[in-house]
Amino acid sequence: MAVAAPTARAAALAPPLTARRFRFPLPGALPPPARAAMASFTKAAQQWATFARAWYLLDAKMQPPGKIAAVTAVRLEGRHKPIYHALSDCGDHVVIINTRHIAFSGNKWEQKVYSSHTGYPGGFKQVTATQLHMKDPTAIVKLTIYRMLPKNLQRRTLMQRLHLFPDDVIPEDIQKNLVEELPQPRAVPKRLDEYTPEEIAAFPMVWTPLPELDLNSHG
Amino acid sequence: MNQNILFLFQHFRGRKNRCYKLAVRSVRRAFVKSTKARKEKKRFLRALWITRIEAASLEHGLKYPAFISNLLKSQVELNRKMIADLAIYEPKTFKSLAALAQRRRQEGFLAALGDGKEPEGIFSRIVHHY
Repeated sequence: MAVAAPTARAAALAPPLTARRFRFPLPGALPPPARAAMASFTKAAQQWATFARAWYLLDAKMQPPGKIAAVTAVRLEGRHKPIYHALSDCGDHVVIINTRHIAFSGNKWEQKVYSSHTGYPGGFKQVTATQLHMKDPTAIVKLTIYRMLPKNLQRRTLMQRLHLFPDDVIPEDIQKNLVEELPQPRAVPKRLDEYTPEEIAAFPMVWTPLPELDLNSHG
Repeated sequence: MNQNILFLFQHFRGRKNRCYKLAVRSVRRAFVKSTKARKEKKRFLRALWITRIEAASLEHGLKYPAFISNLLKSQVELNRKMIADLAIYEPKTFKSLAALAQRRRQEGFLAALGDGKEPEGIFSRIVHHY
């Protein structure tokens, strides 16, 4: 009696519709994002390869942090893939090295200001880009990328997939994951002392100096 | 009576998935929102297609405005939905579309810079179907 009654009562009280899952799309449903499932058995490997998360390397030496951040944000979101959807979590990992050697154009090292507030009264702090860079060599790139990502709850997750290193040194386990190196967004020009004497001699004369002018004497 | 429409609010959060009086209000709002969202759905999907086409054409070295404008100039009247689906499921077809757009782009540059002295390229010819 004690065993039979609870099951019978439970069966009477249980709502009859829990077992059924309604499959038709509910009103207002959008087409679902492509998910890492649902393909045929023979195409499983192709689907895993399509939706796999890749690790990219980017060298930030002598690069403007804005351009670095633009390329990185696109990769982190997954907008470089034709299968992109905001909900399908298709972004990749990006490892940025040499963030200590980024190059701002113009006078931004002195003029660009990073502001923050501690929350306490009188706690408004303003720091120039130089001071921030001295304090933390990865902070400028990190802030730039953070502000370029979409302002939603996914942003923190995407920032966790970003790996910043001030110098060339990368941990072993990250180095093993790297797949491809991304091309640098800015073509770094050569300094005058980086040209070999043969190249300097081979450079065409763009103007002929007058014979009176003796350019080799410092006078 | 409620069992017939249970599926409408079964997936809601809170008491509105159990209590009829609260559910009725939520279901009415859900229907209104779904009616209004039909227009936004069209905008959202078009933006998604454009993002996907941009990603695929950048893989082939072309930016989205160059790709679309040159495809239209070559009289390829595919809409963004079909081009996005081709980019995902028919990559080789998309590659040939990108090559077509690139070639038409070069012909456009030649026509603009050559002052019309060079003969018009093959893909710049307009075919009239009437």
